[in-house]
Amino acid sequence: MSSTFEILTTLQNTALAHAIAKSDHLVGATAQVFHILGFIFLLAAVVFINLRLAGVVLGNQSIPSLSRQPKLLIWGGLVSAVVSGILMFISAPTLYFYNPAFIAKIWILVAAIFLQFTIYRHVTNQEKPSPALAKVSIVLSVVLWFGVGLTGRAIGFV
Amino acid sequence: MSYIVELAEHIQATSLGVALAESSYAFPLIEGIHLIGLSVAVGLLFLIDLRLVGVLFKNVPAIDLLRQLRPIVLGGFAVIFVTGVLLFWSEAATVIVSPAFVAKFIFIAIAGLNALYFEFKLAKQPEVLENHEVLPTNVRYAGLISLVVWSLVIISGRLIPYLP
Repeated sequence: MSSTFEILTTLQNTALAHAIAKSDHLVGATAQVFHILGFIFLLAAVVFINLRLAGVVLGNQSIPSLSRQPKLLIWGGLVSAVVSGILMFISAPTLYFYNPAFIAKIWILVAAIFLQFTIYRHVTNQEKPSPALAKVSIVLSVVLWFGVGLTGRAIGFV
Repeated sequence: MSYIVELAEHIQATSLGVALAESSYAFPLIEGIHLIGLSVAVGLLFLIDLRLVGVLFKNVPAIDLLRQLRPIVLGGFAVIFVTGVLLFWSEAATVIVSPAFVAKFIFIAIAGLNALYFEFKLAKQPEVLENHEVLPTNVRYAGLISLVVWSLVIISGRLIPYLP
């Protein structure tokens, strides 16, 4: 445990971490803006694909085609959120690392990305995916991605 | 202005305002639901805007996207509205003096007017009602304005705690 803390303290004492922490608070605010905008673009695309998968919207359009088109929003949004998130983390790693909401968020995020690359990719690549598998994907996707948002928003309050 | 600040202080001091602000679960949970509502309502609106501009879903009739996503977008806005009122209730006096809070509402008003003009005027054009891959310039501009202004709403909203 102490060695982890030492690593975090070392990270916190790097030049980059000092630069971020000591910069004008608007630098932190800018990171927050990229973090939230990236997340919203990602989540919008995920919600949209889930709505099609559930047959709620655009039932006459092909699932693979509709899922492919907003891919850049998903991965671009994720990159924007992760890069800005890493910058925020570096500025105060000892603060974040032991925060229960942060720990929950990271695990849920890992699960969400894993889902996206496995079952979700498989289901959205098919014109007519099995309804049972589609249902499972939708539920997992919504629970995990909304979970990332809810736990992420809670970090500042616990 | 001082009257508004006084009113905001009164709102924040009501029992609901105090209860929300002091609850360790309610406040972050409402913040989280506000964010998710935002991703659904404004997020789906972004996808519609990208169709109007001509970036995404060019093979999908714009009118299908507009009609079928409308109830979900409006549902998302209802969630943002309710959670937004609750958040305001618990910190009215703090946020009312933030220039970012004022800017957020100015941008919401501009985005709202743009949406109304689109809905009641631009969307009635035959190119929108029929299935055209490329939409008229005025529709594309409305989509672009919506994208930019809603982004400004989100940015100014996130900056509220940073610009006291």
